[in-house]
Amino acid sequence: MEPRLSRFDPLGRIVYFDDFDDGHHGWMELIGNYEDSLDTMLPHYRDHRPPMISSATMWDTGSHGSLDGTYSLKVATRARAGHQAVAVKRATWRQLGLIQLEAYVACKPEASDLRLGNLDVRGFGLLFDLQNTQHRLMPHLRYLNAVDGQPRGVWQYKTETPPRVQTGPTGQISSVYHLDPTGWIDLPNGAQALCYNELPTKLNWHYLRLLVDLAAGHYLEFQCNDRRYDLSALGMIRAAPIATLPCMLNAAFFVEAGADKRAFLYLDSVLVSTAV
Amino acid sequence: MRRSYTAVLERGEPLAGEWATEPYETGWASEALFFVLLLDGPPTARIAARVQLSPDGMRWVDEGTALPELRDGLAFVRVREFGNWLRLAGTVSGADEVRALIYLTLKE
Repeated sequence: MEPRLSRFDPLGRIVYFDDFDDGHHGWMELIGNYEDSLDTMLPHYRDHRPPMISSATMWDTGSHGSLDGTYSLKVATRARAGHQAVAVKRATWRQLGLIQLEAYVACKPEASDLRLGNLDVRGFGLLFDLQNTQHRLMPHLRYLNAVDGQPRGVWQYKTETPPRVQTGPTGQISSVYHLDPTGWIDLPNGAQALCYNELPTKLNWHYLRLLVDLAAGHYLEFQCNDRRYDLSALGMIRAAPIATLPCMLNAAFFVEAGADKRAFLYLDSVLVSTAV
Repeated sequence: MRRSYTAVLERGEPLAGEWATEPYETGWASEALFFVLLLDGPPTARIAARVQLSPDGMRWVDEGTALPELRDGLAFVRVREFGNWLRLAGTVSGADEVRALIYLTLKE
C-alpha cells in the first residue's frame, strides 16, 4: 500500500489527495460575494486571510515540520479575539452518493507568551459546501475549544444560518454568513479531549473524517482519532439550490481566535473521496 | 516548473499611522515581490513601507529594502534570501487612513 495513503480510509474513488509538502493544491482564502464594490461584502467575509505553506517554525525549537515531510498548510487568524480564518477548495462532483472528507490537522495559538495557552483558541472545524439536485447543503463540524477562557472541548454542528441577503444592486448576487458564531449545537455526547500537549510550540497531529450522503442530503458519521460520532439523525444547513452552483463540491477548514492572540490550524494533508 | 503563489495580505482593511502586514511564511520560496495598490485615499496620502524579516514570526528586523513612492497608485519592492518569514511594515501620512491591496508574490 502507498504509505502516505495508508493512514486514510478513503471511499472507492479519490477525488483529491493534497499533501502540502508540494504546494497549496488549490486551497485559498474564502471570500464573500460582492458586486461593484468590496464594500458590499458581508463584514465577516472581508478578512479570512490567505493560507500559507508552513514549516511550523517555533521560536524555541525551530522548524516543527509536518506529519509527513516539512510543510503543512497553515490557516492563521489575526491576533484579535473572535477573528476567523478560512481556507477553501472548490470542485464539482460527478455522481450523487457518499462523499467523505479526511484530514490530519494540528491546532495551536501563537507562542507569543510563555504560557500554556490551551484556552486561547476558540475553535476550529471543517465543512462541505455542496449542492445536489434538491438543495444547497452545508455540513459543518466545529471543535469548540474554549469560550472567554473557559474550557468547552466539544464537537458541534449547525442546522441554520442567518438569512441570505442581497449583495449589491442587480439582484444577481446574494450572500449568507454560514460561519456565524451563533447557531452551533453540541453533538450528542460530543465532548472530547484533544492532545494539546504542554507548550504552544509542541504540535500533535489529529485525524478527522466527515462522511455525508450527498444524494439523501444528510450527515452519516464524524470521526476524530478514536471517537466516532453517529450523525445520521442530525439535521444540517439546507437551502434552495442556486442556479449557478450545480454539482458544487467545496470543502473548507477554519480556525477562530479566542483571545487577542493568533490562532493557527495546520493541515498536513487532506483527502476527499466518493463512493462512486 | 517552478511553483509560485500570490497571497493577498491586505484587501481594503483601513491602514492608518504605523501598520504592518500579518506574518507570512515563505521558507519554500527564493524570490518575493510585495505590490501595494492604493484603493482609496485622498491625494495628500503617502504610504511609506519597508520589508522586514523574522526568525520566529514574532520579532522583526528591517531587511534594508524600502518601497518606492507609489506611481499611479501602485508600487512594488523585490527581495531575495529572506528566510522563513516576511512582512511589510510602514506608515501612512497625509491622511487619517487609506485602503489598499497588498500582494505578496512568491516563487521557488
